[in-house]
Amino acid sequence: MAIRANPKLIEELEPYGAEDVMKCYHCGNCSAVCPFSADPYVFPRKPMRYLQMGLEDKLKGQLDPWLCYYCGECSDQCPREAEPGETMMSLRRWLTSKYDWTGISRLFYRSWRWELGAIVLVAILTAIGFTLFGMSQGSIAHYDGPDAFLPSASIHIFDWVLAGVLLTFLLSNAARMWWFTMGRDKDLPTTLGSYITSAWMLPAHFFTQVRYSKCEHKRSWATHLALMLSYVTMLVLIMFFLTRMASGPEIDWSVHVAGYFATAGLLLGTALFLRNRVKRSSAQYRHSHESDWIFLVLILIVATTGILQHILHRSGLDVAANVAYIVHLSLVVPMLALEVPFSKWSHLAYRPLAMYLAQVRATALARARSGEATALRPGAERTQAHAA
Amino acid sequence: MTERRIGVYVCNCGTNIANVVDCDAVAEAAQSLPGVAVSRSYKYMCSNPGQEMIVQDIREEGLDRVVVAACSPRMHEPTFRRAAEMAGLNPYLVQMANIREQCSWVHDPGETATDKAKDLVRAAVYRAACHEPLERMAVEMCPDTLVIGGGIAGMSAALELADAGNRVYLVERTASLGGNVARVDLTAPYLDSARDMIVDRVTRVVEHPNVDVLLESELERLDGFVGNFKATLVRRSSGEAPPRQVVDVGSVVVCTGYKEFDAARVTHFGYGKLPDVITSFEFEQMLKQGRIELKDGRLPQYVAIVHCVGSRSEEFHGYCSRVCCMTALKYAHEVKSALPKAYVSDVYVDMHAFGKGCEDFYRRSAEVKTLFLMYGKGERPVVRRADPGDDCEMLLTVDEQLSGELIELPADLIILMVGMEPRDDAGQVAHLVNISQDKDGWFIESHPKLDPVATTTDGVYIAGACQSPKDIPDSVAQARAAAARILGKISRGKLEIDAMYAEVDEDLCSGCRVCNEICPYSAIEFDEEKRRSHVISALCKACGACVATCPSAAIKARHFTDAQIFAEITGVLA
Amino acid sequence: MSFEPKIVSFLCNWCSYSGADLAGTSRVHYKPNVRVIRVMCSARVDPTFVVKALAEGADGVLVCGCHPGDCHYSEGNYKTMRRMPLLKRMLADFGIEEERVRLEWVSASEGTRFADIVDDMTERLRALGPSRVKTALAYDAVER
Repeated sequence: MAIRANPKLIEELEPYGAEDVMKCYHCGNCSAVCPFSADPYVFPRKPMRYLQMGLEDKLKGQLDPWLCYYCGECSDQCPREAEPGETMMSLRRWLTSKYDWTGISRLFYRSWRWELGAIVLVAILTAIGFTLFGMSQGSIAHYDGPDAFLPSASIHIFDWVLAGVLLTFLLSNAARMWWFTMGRDKDLPTTLGSYITSAWMLPAHFFTQVRYSKCEHKRSWATHLALMLSYVTMLVLIMFFLTRMASGPEIDWSVHVAGYFATAGLLLGTALFLRNRVKRSSAQYRHSHESDWIFLVLILIVATTGILQHILHRSGLDVAANVAYIVHLSLVVPMLALEVPFSKWSHLAYRPLAMYLAQVRATALARARSGEATALRPGAERTQAHAA
Repeated sequence: MTERRIGVYVCNCGTNIANVVDCDAVAEAAQSLPGVAVSRSYKYMCSNPGQEMIVQDIREEGLDRVVVAACSPRMHEPTFRRAAEMAGLNPYLVQMANIREQCSWVHDPGETATDKAKDLVRAAVYRAACHEPLERMAVEMCPDTLVIGGGIAGMSAALELADAGNRVYLVERTASLGGNVARVDLTAPYLDSARDMIVDRVTRVVEHPNVDVLLESELERLDGFVGNFKATLVRRSSGEAPPRQVVDVGSVVVCTGYKEFDAARVTHFGYGKLPDVITSFEFEQMLKQGRIELKDGRLPQYVAIVHCVGSRSEEFHGYCSRVCCMTALKYAHEVKSALPKAYVSDVYVDMHAFGKGCEDFYRRSAEVKTLFLMYGKGERPVVRRADPGDDCEMLLTVDEQLSGELIELPADLIILMVGMEPRDDAGQVAHLVNISQDKDGWFIESHPKLDPVATTTDGVYIAGACQSPKDIPDSVAQARAAAARILGKISRGKLEIDAMYAEVDEDLCSGCRVCNEICPYSAIEFDEEKRRSHVISALCKACGACVATCPSAAIKARHFTDAQIFAEITGVLA
Repeated sequence: MSFEPKIVSFLCNWCSYSGADLAGTSRVHYKPNVRVIRVMCSARVDPTFVVKALAEGADGVLVCGCHPGDCHYSEGNYKTMRRMPLLKRMLADFGIEEERVRLEWVSASEGTRFADIVDDMTERLRALGPSRVKTALAYDAVER
């Protein structure tokens, strides 16, 4: 069956950053130089070809863009300046918007005004909400204690509710990702067993990003890992140790030492990435989508307001600390509620998931192939027909 | 017969000969042949030191015959003849043995090939022993030239010659000058207007005092030989002008061009059946009129350009038509600039972007977002009408090579890049001016690399796309090169023509006149008084048909005498 | 050792000799049994050349010219075309097998065709066995 080409798709991809893909003339240098490109995931050339021809369905089923960590070697080697690395990045953005069933992601990636507007709106609503909540049951003069403006126990409950909501979005989108890339492919002989035996890859890739370390530029991997671990540390502290974090004014070293490290990691990581993007220091930082800037700046501000609130509280300036806290929360909430399920943050789920699914898929394909091989024996035609 | 002093030179041609034939053994074997004074094997006989070796041996060893066992005489015989001449030896005393094209390149290495080379050298030595010194004839060179075809090549050649002060007869079959270039809108890769180019040329040709433009005219007959042709030109249109004229010309330049491939011969594309499947020339017409539209007047949204229609296929023509790739890219640019919202797809086999500015043009075509789809040489795309719900008129099914997917491409307008093929009357023209055609029907040049404008008939040149598919710059270059060759001859005033022609021994001639009928050039006259035939040497082209025919063996073919060929037969079989 | 026939081949300068050269430049291999003698036109091939070659030990004689209609000298090959059957008829009277003398048309672009003809003729002559002409034919008959 012939697949219908759609010359218009490329225009749809342009707002996601794929501006140069039509320049590609398929020499294959990019796939040759990529440390990860290997059968059955040959990229960036193949996804670029699908994109040029507008094979939307094929693209939606591709795990390949997630297997790329954008070291930028391909873009450096490209003789036509078709920016294969940036094309892969654009495809990740586009895929994110395809996995997202709400359509919010598509809106954000196609227009930074929408994304920024939504963040500001959620920030204002959060600020108003928490201010009203604080005034209704406490005093702005108290940071903690019985009369606290924003008692940690209540915030804790709010955190968990928020986590639940965003996990619902993220998981439902991840399920769609599985469906596009694995589930709907009826001919793929996957087994539950391979899903189970490969499951270790999920946490492994999530926590170590070991694949990124195989890229040419080790420093990018280190910075990325540090930023991610700092973020996760902070998330764990807030989700499980918020009351101890907020108690004071004495410093509780058992939790705060981790908090300090995480803060330092967040500040340093975002600052480094921002610096690289401003200086366009190498291929992967040459093209910055608006969503990249929003993401980094948001983390940086969240981290800064967090520190500010912490310092003010420890200094006994409770009113100022409460104000800083409101500001901090009104940035944390849009960051978590909008960025994690609908924008750049979502890759924290999609990328390790893709590595895991890619492994399952490769195993299944290998099985299908060896099935073909055995099918060459006389009398095994039925197996072959099945495998094909 | 006095003892000959023959020099034998076995060329290794680098490794071309030496890898297959034991050259030293061949040279050693030649040493013992009768009359051989010197026999050597050398790396490159055609090189300066190689030729120097021959010159020195002739002078110092007193050689009176030279045998060079090397490549084909069609390649380097003139080289070694010149070397002999330099040393004061008559050039016709050189004989070559072809041990490369007809030995080392076609046989496996070993004793058999070496034995064959020895046989060929022996034959050449035996033959050379019978060679006679011959003098070349000097003839007048008529400075007028006949140019056949009024396209870009013909006009360029005509102007070059006329500007140098020579009369040119420019014969054009149609009613206007300009040829196929006049049918084109812009040219690739610089998007210059073809019209501007052509108008300038046509005006200059028409107004040139030295150019006689003969429209609606043809060459009917060409007699004579280099420097002294008689061309019979006939005017086909009705009119008071005399229908025929005979002009004296020294040279002929054939610039008859090409015709486009008939797209209807390929059934896959529905040309002639689907209204909006058109050929590149039909699209040029559209461009010249300034509006790209469908048959029903709507603007196309999807434009597909299909390459290699009639070219590079087993079924039609195996060769590449050379101009279509860049023309297709030109279309992509022209469509994009006329209809910025249109989607242009370029369905190609290989992108041949050779030539100045072309690779860059290819890149720019990708930058204007042309979708390039590659199809396999043997797997032609198929066009069908789209289904009612589709947003396009037609669908093009392509087995796309770069993705390995079977693709359906939407199209409203399909442009077929039709290739070039020899004109229907190319065979007739070839016959008239006595030149050859290759298997595809293109005229054959004297040497594909070293002599690309001359032909096997002295004084007849070819230029432009009648020789093979060619773009404008190449056609113009070839035309001007042909003109340069002719101007060189004109400036020398007199021509030396080959000393090979037939001679009648009047003592042996019985006056039977069989040869008079045999000669295709009417070069043999019968002297009523003497009752003997004799050859008009300037008209003789040395085919030797009369020699083999003469019942009295009274005619001698100079340089191809019976004795020489007998010696060669004996040589190869000894 | 198996019998290796010797073929003397007369090639016209314009078409067939160029064709044989093309076989070389295209590296189309063929049997090394052939020895080429260049003539300007196939019409130059005097019947005595063929007889001489056979008399001096050739197992076969191959004459090649331009395709009919393509002769460099307009019509030389037509003459060859008429002459060769007459020669063959005469040779048959001497007991020389028909297959020993062959006339073929090879154009300048038919290198492969030349190679095929040589290979084919070599095989046929090999099957036919050595020519007995050299011993059997009275030498004086062909001396001029």
